[in-house]
Amino acid sequence: MARLADIPEPERTVIADLDCPLYADTPPVTAVAKALRHVAIVSTAGLIVRGERPMLANETGYRAIAATVGDGDILCSHVSTNFDRTGFQQDLNVMLPRDRLREMEDEGVIGKAADTHYAFMGATSPKKLEDKARELGRSMLALGVNTVVLAPV
Amino acid sequence: MSGLAHYLEDEGLATVIVALVREHIVSMRPPRALWVPFELGRPFGAPGNADLQRRVLQASLALLDKAISAPLLEDFNEATLADGGGDGDDNWRFPGALDNSSVLAEAASVVPIWQLACERLGKTSVGISGLAPEAAVEFIERFHSVDPMPNPKGMAQVTRARFSVDDIKAFYFEAALAEGGHPSTQQLHEWFWSGTLAGALLRDFQESTRVSEDKNLRLIASSLVPAERTYWFLNGLEAP
Repeated sequence: MARLADIPEPERTVIADLDCPLYADTPPVTAVAKALRHVAIVSTAGLIVRGERPMLANETGYRAIAATVGDGDILCSHVSTNFDRTGFQQDLNVMLPRDRLREMEDEGVIGKAADTHYAFMGATSPKKLEDKARELGRSMLALGVNTVVLAPV
Repeated sequence: MSGLAHYLEDEGLATVIVALVREHIVSMRPPRALWVPFELGRPFGAPGNADLQRRVLQASLALLDKAISAPLLEDFNEATLADGGGDGDDNWRFPGALDNSSVLAEAASVVPIWQLACERLGKTSVGISGLAPEAAVEFIERFHSVDPMPNPKGMAQVTRARFSVDDIKAFYFEAALAEGGHPSTQQLHEWFWSGTLAGALLRDFQESTRVSEDKNLRLIASSLVPAERTYWFLNGLEAP
């Protein structure tokens, strides 16, 4: 039901009018073969590890979520209250499908599920995320990641 | 999210977005995106439905197999009522009796049910405020009183109030699913916001923040109650 027309007002108008900066088409990176894909997930759900300082509105940094962190120690600090969290409360994989990714690694569908996934705070102006996004990109490349699934909420 | 795709691709990573708002993708033209028809907050579909989550993930990664010279946007047109956006579960009821003598008594009556939910789920998403759920309710209940609860170190009082509200909602919603079932998101919200004292407390608290002279309180007002609920309450409307 995420068709814009199905989202109740006034949120529908807020989403429709959201600042979407224009970007020139970015030449796409040629993906490596499936067996060589080292895949990380980057969420914009403001996910944090229990005990960390929650992310705040307009925060531009990102958090790392290691594979060793249990599902019950991953919390959602997103500033918006206008998306469903009951799915996340029952099953982390609706936001961060790291179990599914691990299964795909086990079955050889991908080369490797990343040891660490990441989260930004959505609802932050995209342009303000550039520096940290590029920093994260370089960090992931250094860890051998070559493929990213981006997951909004 | 589309901005992140542009930056990460420019750094040398192949990306694909699992997109919830198609219009934003059309506007911002990331290299690859799979639009999914699920409700906001559930980009990979329904909780507990590993097959659906898997199909979404595979469909998104499959976009990487296509040679492209322009932005690629495909639709995942496998809508499912089980994503939570459907008609819900007519048999669903809150799995216990609530003590409606006061909001604190109500919260105390939720605790054992929530504990069962935690056992069933093997986890909880409560805890971002740093307060126990009953304490989070009391923190909000006494916030504007002459005797507010002391604010522990480590988080500003207004920030803790905002995250206490998140914890209260998670506490009640987790308890509501202690026995499972498939209520729709709208069913759960209607029950919480119109049928519990905690929902009424949060609505009143939001209103107090919305009109507060304290700028920091006004800033959190929109993070407390879903926008459509606020709109309905302020305009005397019932949920459709």
